[in-house]
Amino acid sequence: MDDAVDYVFEALFALSDLRVLLRETVPLHKFNEQQLSQAREALARAKNALEQLDEELQK
Amino acid sequence: MKIAGNIPIREVEERYINIQPIQAAGRLTAEAMKALIVYGDGYSTCDQCRKPFRLDKITKPPIAEFHNDLAWFLGMDEARVTPGARRAFQAVCLALVNKGDTVLVSALGHYTEFLAVENARATVREVPANEANIIMGDAVAQKIEEVTRENGHPPALVMLDHFDYSLANEHDIVGAAKAAHQYDVPLLYNGAYTVGIKPVNGKALGADFVVGSGHKSMASPAPSGVLATTSEYADTVFSTTQMIGDLTGRQFGVKEVQMLGCTLMGGNILAMMASFPTVKRRVKEWDEYVTKSNHVVDTLLGIKGNTCVSEYPRKHTLSKVDTTGSFDTVARTHKRRGFFFSDELKQRGIVGAFAGATRAWKFNTYGLSWDQTRYVADAFQEIAGKYGLL
Repeated sequence: MDDAVDYVFEALFALSDLRVLLRETVPLHKFNEQQLSQAREALARAKNALEQLDEELQK
Repeated sequence: MKIAGNIPIREVEERYINIQPIQAAGRLTAEAMKALIVYGDGYSTCDQCRKPFRLDKITKPPIAEFHNDLAWFLGMDEARVTPGARRAFQAVCLALVNKGDTVLVSALGHYTEFLAVENARATVREVPANEANIIMGDAVAQKIEEVTRENGHPPALVMLDHFDYSLANEHDIVGAAKAAHQYDVPLLYNGAYTVGIKPVNGKALGADFVVGSGHKSMASPAPSGVLATTSEYADTVFSTTQMIGDLTGRQFGVKEVQMLGCTLMGGNILAMMASFPTVKRRVKEWDEYVTKSNHVVDTLLGIKGNTCVSEYPRKHTLSKVDTTGSFDTVARTHKRRGFFFSDELKQRGIVGAFAGATRAWKFNTYGLSWDQTRYVADAFQEIAGKYGLL
């Protein structure tokens, strides 16, 4: 379970990046290409961390 | 969605453009949010606090380095973090001002300056603004002479806001510092509305103390702030305790009296540190933010009956406007009275204008992208058009 801590923080950090993107695009939340790419990258990081966390919990 | 059953989620910044006058430049960076997640526990900065056991000496995380960087960033010799600008005013007053002394503040100065002076058992005297609502150096000189004639000695300190909280007009800091120094009076530069958003070099301005607000202008949580000074005043304002316990003989050597020991001991300083790279970068973009501010103000002035109460063209992103001749004429007969205006803004995804205010009100465009700036300006125009004000 040692790695679980890292995965939790990684997911929270990725979601924080997404949160700031939402802030930067208020009120319409229309992402330009760069923002869309950043959002996808952050979401992928969050998903990956959560998947690995899930695997860690099943060990 | 609630926290602990009854604390609502705050989603103002995620759902709306927030033009609230004092909130704009305190919005956190992503890095500050991460620092809060990780360092939110009470004494989280203290894991590796080693001798001499003082916050500004901690190297892991690099708090000591941050203090050095802060002093450099402000063009001063030494800096400490404080729980807000107000605690920095208090520290300087308690260190320099004696009971019965006089301290000069601006006629547009913040109330916490008054409280800091009162806390030192001293008295404020206000330096008047000129017809354009600007505090000039010659007015500071005149007031120093007046106080010196009355008291037989000059004031103990001059405190002056570079940009005031009310109109965000730019005041003559350089002239005030020159005037103060002619009478050997130190000058405290109140940078609550500058430090963290525009470049500030304290020594170049002639300041003996530079005070900033973390939660107002440095993308940091409240309370947080900074007090920086020169080597001339560092030993006075950051004096260490001489007290000895009469029973135990205990002494607390390096603890600084005016700081009451360590100041920001948890997530606040780490969030401040985490935002600092962004803050250093964003001060270089100040002129662009002022251009955006003028775009919105110009649009408002394009609506018949509006005036800009703040100096114009704007030199800051915080502005006070008077819409008595436009939006207030609608409020007089609207069923929602003055609230019609904030309702209309909210429907367009904009909040932060004082609800119900349609006469004189303030707003701040700091941090907005050009798309958001135009969106806000267009919203004002749209509302004016809807009510036949164009």
